[in-house]
Amino acid sequence: MSNIVEINNLVKSYENGHIKALNGIDLTIKEGEFVSIIGPSGSGKSTLLNMLGALDLPDSGSINVAGYDLLSNKKLNEFRAQKIGFVFQLHNLIPNLSVVENIEIPMFTSKLSNDEMRKRALDLLDIVGLKDKASQKPSKLSGGERQRVAIARALANNPSIILADEPTGSLDSKTSTKILKQLIDLHKTQNVTLIIVTHDMDVAKLADRTIEVLDGKLVNAGENSLLENKINVD
Amino acid sequence: MSFLKFIIKNPFRRKNSAVLAIVGICIGIIVIVALGGITTGLVSTFEDTIHAGGADFSISGKETGTSAYGTNTIDANWTDKIANVSGVSEAYPIYVILTSVGDDYMNTLIGIDPNGTTMADIVVSDGRIFKNNSSEVILGKIYAEDNNLSVGDKLKVDGEDFDVVGIIETGDSNMAGAVFTSIEKVAEVNDDSDSISNIYVKVDKGADAQEVADRIDSMYGDNITTVSSVMEMGQMADMLNMLKASSWGISLLAIVVGGLGIINTMLMSVFERTREIGVLKAVGWSNRKILTMIVGESLVITIVSAIIGSIIGVALCTLLAPMMGLNPLFTIDTFVQAFGIAIIVGIIGGLYPAIKAIKLPPTEALRYE
Repeated sequence: MSNIVEINNLVKSYENGHIKALNGIDLTIKEGEFVSIIGPSGSGKSTLLNMLGALDLPDSGSINVAGYDLLSNKKLNEFRAQKIGFVFQLHNLIPNLSVVENIEIPMFTSKLSNDEMRKRALDLLDIVGLKDKASQKPSKLSGGERQRVAIARALANNPSIILADEPTGSLDSKTSTKILKQLIDLHKTQNVTLIIVTHDMDVAKLADRTIEVLDGKLVNAGENSLLENKINVD
Repeated sequence: MSFLKFIIKNPFRRKNSAVLAIVGICIGIIVIVALGGITTGLVSTFEDTIHAGGADFSISGKETGTSAYGTNTIDANWTDKIANVSGVSEAYPIYVILTSVGDDYMNTLIGIDPNGTTMADIVVSDGRIFKNNSSEVILGKIYAEDNNLSVGDKLKVDGEDFDVVGIIETGDSNMAGAVFTSIEKVAEVNDDSDSISNIYVKVDKGADAQEVADRIDSMYGDNITTVSSVMEMGQMADMLNMLKASSWGISLLAIVVGGLGIINTMLMSVFERTREIGVLKAVGWSNRKILTMIVGESLVITIVSAIIGSIIGVALCTLLAPMMGLNPLFTIDTFVQAFGIAIIVGIIGGLYPAIKAIKLPPTEALRYE
């Protein structure tokens, strides 16, 4: 399989260089791989995820994701719309839109007709088991349901990669297991690359590969290093 | 859902914010519409007052001389020519001759169109005005008193019996001593239907009388001349210009007050949504699409507010202004001004915070509380 992520010597600093969030990261991720990124708070794992999704740009180095050179490409919104699906810890659904409208939001960047958009949004809700909640506002849903809506939204434009930043961070363990199962199922059935940032080792163990970030550097990018401890969520 | 429908519906999803925004913008619109209506009413009332009754100026033959009404004549066709000059609202002929009236061998007989009597400041105090081409006269009060005549009496004019149908009051002593009948009858008495003495001219509302008089002079100055009315036209124009300038000043104040209110409301509304803008960027919306959405929403809110504000402004003004002795007048200009201001400041108010928000990196926008 070809590499979907190629990163070389990536550096990112904040506050005029006083805080080095990423300090020379080299990383490749294969297409269809499930990778978890672990590390303590402030280690740079979320910064790395933001770089992968072009939500932030590095100071130096090179980063190529899904065929886009993110440092030279000016159409980063197009890259995010077509290649990336984000799942945030706090779901970030728009509170005033209904569940189905939240899923349609990314599709405004596509060429789908209004009917096609609605049909796809309802199909995705069906996949995450929330078709009956389509017209409700996010505030009427439980935390787990909101995160499932966020997963459906992430899939709206058939992305190549799902980037999930602590997707179970604010959920109880039972709901977390459900959400992770759903993400892993989608990763398998839709052949989408899944990259999860987490500080929960139980979540990290589910991945094909775990990358450990410490002080802005990769200290462990070993393939399947934690596979022997993989837990079963089936 | 289409993007357009999304833009139209979106502002009203946040009901509290929408209500606050609409109230804020409405206050601005009410101020603009109410002050606009009051100042337009003031200008209109002033114009009505200065143009009421008497003509703005009169026209006589070039060689008229100093006679009170002019014994020289001009061709009757001049009335139509003058009526067609730009800025002229009404033009009525007056035909003044000296002829035998009653016991007097020579008295002033004035022929005038019954519809143009107000132009000559003729106010009937008793009876009615004469009918066109009838053997009816109205008398100046002094003439009636001196000759002991009243409505219903007969009066001989150039040997023919006329019915006295009305008595007029006027501050003009020449007119108070005169007898009035229709133009046709005077032409018949004088045996000359092609001539008239003067033309009374009233200009369009809002037109500058001096400008119209100058225009007539420049067009026909070789044959006729314009004579200003009792009140100096220049002085009137100065007063009107002063009132219009004050009106503009008040409108400008209303625009500033209303406009700042609108901008403030839109600023608050967009800053509240910084996190939402971060989400839209994360899912791939372009900056242009986000700007279009925010500006579109601002337009929707301001147009709805402008409609509601205009209705409330007109209602409040109509109810309250008369209590203060004011007579508001709402013209299309007032509403065009209110809507124009609302839309312009609505766009500015939406654009500024939207540009600030889209310049934020998505990661910062997503962290915004």
